[in-house]
Amino acid sequence: MLKKELLELCLLQLLDGGDKYGYEVLTPLRAAFPDTQESAIYALLRGLGKEKYTEWYMAPGDGGPDRKYYRLTPAGLERLEALRGEWRHMRDAIASFGVE
Amino acid sequence: MTREIYLKKFSRAVRWRLPPKEAEEAIADYRELVFQEKRDESRLVEELGDPVQAARLLTDVKSYRRWLAVFGILALGLVLMAKWCILGRSQLDYFLGKTRYWFPVLVLMVGLVLSQYWFRRYEQKRGPLSRRLILGLVLVLAVGAIPLGWTWYVSRPEFLERLAQELFPGPVARQAWMLQYVLRYGGCACTLIALAGLVLAKLFDRRWLALYTLALTMTALCVILIFWTRSMSLPWYGVNELQFYYFPRMVLVGIAGLVGTGVALC
Repeated sequence: MLKKELLELCLLQLLDGGDKYGYEVLTPLRAAFPDTQESAIYALLRGLGKEKYTEWYMAPGDGGPDRKYYRLTPAGLERLEALRGEWRHMRDAIASFGVE
Repeated sequence: MTREIYLKKFSRAVRWRLPPKEAEEAIADYRELVFQEKRDESRLVEELGDPVQAARLLTDVKSYRRWLAVFGILALGLVLMAKWCILGRSQLDYFLGKTRYWFPVLVLMVGLVLSQYWFRRYEQKRGPLSRRLILGLVLVLAVGAIPLGWTWYVSRPEFLERLAQELFPGPVARQAWMLQYVLRYGGCACTLIALAGLVLAKLFDRRWLALYTLALTMTALCVILIFWTRSMSLPWYGVNELQFYYFPRMVLVGIAGLVGTGVALC
């Protein structure tokens, strides 16, 4: 599992917890992966949209202008399940070597 | 880097690399991200990354390479025109002889067809017609009118009579001598303006293609005149017919360019 896929897993997991706007998606991911810039995470988010794993809609922000909210699609949920499976497999494989 | 400058740099980079619809979407998203209240302006580049690098991450390599290929062909045509303006001849002269007069016409036709096809199919108009574009077109007409007007003046029968009567190189000969510089620098200036029009058409509004088309036409006319005036085997039938040899032959080229300019503005 590459770092890109780990980021993808975290991003989809984040959206599984509820619809979020761009900044809400990017900041926690950047906090978790400090060596990754937000532009790279945004590019990944756009890529997921192109793959139809996510979709967006406009909704009013907190008293400000409308914001673009992202949500998971059914295909995105399937992708999330697949990535979770890969992650568990990798975690178990690493654990079998005694890595905690 | 301020938020405005960051967004400006990002917008330019993304419009150069992405198709218009995708570019505008990305710019709207970045506007939202950049102007977040919680965002610290001094850490903008650190957090979001370099704006050009950010645009690079969003690039669809295949479609970007296609655009670069089209831009490369159009730019190569301009480089050839500039080379012909400066050198006054083509490397293919020895093999193709008088057909060299068709070289600028060929470059003009390829430029017109390819640019119209690409920009009408893949690029968009943005907002009302820019006043700067109108000024640019007027500038090209003014820059192009100087070499064309000078050639018209120098090829008048009265001028040529005076030139023939001048025993030693004097003011009349100097005016004739100046023609090559006027054609050379006028043509080169139009080539640079055409290149600017091409870049602006990609970055801002496809109607800037009108500037490219008009400037390319002016360059083509200058190159044709350069080739003719440097030719030692001009098939003219006397001083009285020289003026009417050049210009009627260039009318069709001029009309093609003007029609192309009009189409680009629509």
